[in-house]
Amino acid sequence: MQPEAEAPPSRLGPGVGIQGVLEIDGELVISGLVKGRIAASKLVIAPGGYVEGDIVAREVVISGRLNGRVFAPTVSIAASAEVEGRIFHTSVSVERGARVNGRMPWRPVSYFDTLDQLPENRE
Amino acid sequence: MIFNRDKSGDQSQPAQAKPAQPQAAQPQPGALKPEQAAKPAEPPRPAVTAPPTSTKVGANMASVISKALKITGELESTEDIQIDGQIEGDVRGVGVKIGQNAKVKGTVYGDDVELAGTVEGKIEAKKVLISGTARMTGDIWHQDIKVESGAYINGSLKPELGKSDAKQAPKPAAASTSSNVSSLTGTTGAPHH
Repeated sequence: MQPEAEAPPSRLGPGVGIQGVLEIDGELVISGLVKGRIAASKLVIAPGGYVEGDIVAREVVISGRLNGRVFAPTVSIAASAEVEGRIFHTSVSVERGARVNGRMPWRPVSYFDTLDQLPENRE
Repeated sequence: MIFNRDKSGDQSQPAQAKPAQPQAAQPQPGALKPEQAAKPAEPPRPAVTAPPTSTKVGANMASVISKALKITGELESTEDIQIDGQIEGDVRGVGVKIGQNAKVKGTVYGDDVELAGTVEGKIEAKKVLISGTARMTGDIWHQDIKVESGAYINGSLKPELGKSDAKQAPKPAAASTSSNVSSLTGTTGAPHH
């Protein structure tokens, strides 16, 4: 998997704050702050990054902080992560040391293929 | 409960995780997932491939909005930013570079704005560079501007930014003394009207 060969990944540095909707057909690395909705092929919340809102992606890697929901077949939560919310996944890994507060509902892969609209909040 | 108890182990692990490059999102990929560990290419990756990525993309720019990224909303940055994607909303930055394929609908605020792409809205910046490929629809408020041949500008150039603030020393009496800045604006602005 070499996404940077075609489209270089987008990077939001520590000094960047965004409020709104982010859509990317590729990889997005967040070291800053995002409040809103994110749709990406791959999303990385780097250490120091903070996301508040819903994330829809094929793959999500969390090393920073997240407050919201994740909808992704593959989710990796690193030791430095702090997660609050729900993680809808097919395959999830949580590294020892991560702080996870919330449910992690399992869904088949097909669930994410047909995920056009996010389920309404029923937290 | 389990998570809380494990926090004692947390103390040592973040120390390892923090110094990793932002791109190396999985500080210890081998420990993360059995399936990833199975791939022989994965374990050495973060340390090896992360630095080349950061040098390759946007040189030393801290933040890059790539071509594939579309943002609807407000963006604020305290560091330099390169925009190659689409933004609908205001951008507040310091150094802002808007690439050739980028499109911004909204106001771009900054100290130093370089425009090679499209802006529909307004630019408010101390220093503005409009290159030949730029397409600007809207007013440009500035203190210092350069417009290259070929640029499309539909709007007014206003060399008044910061006048009321009186923070910039070079322009205390801009009305009487026609400084370099204002004369330059006059010549570059005229052909476009």
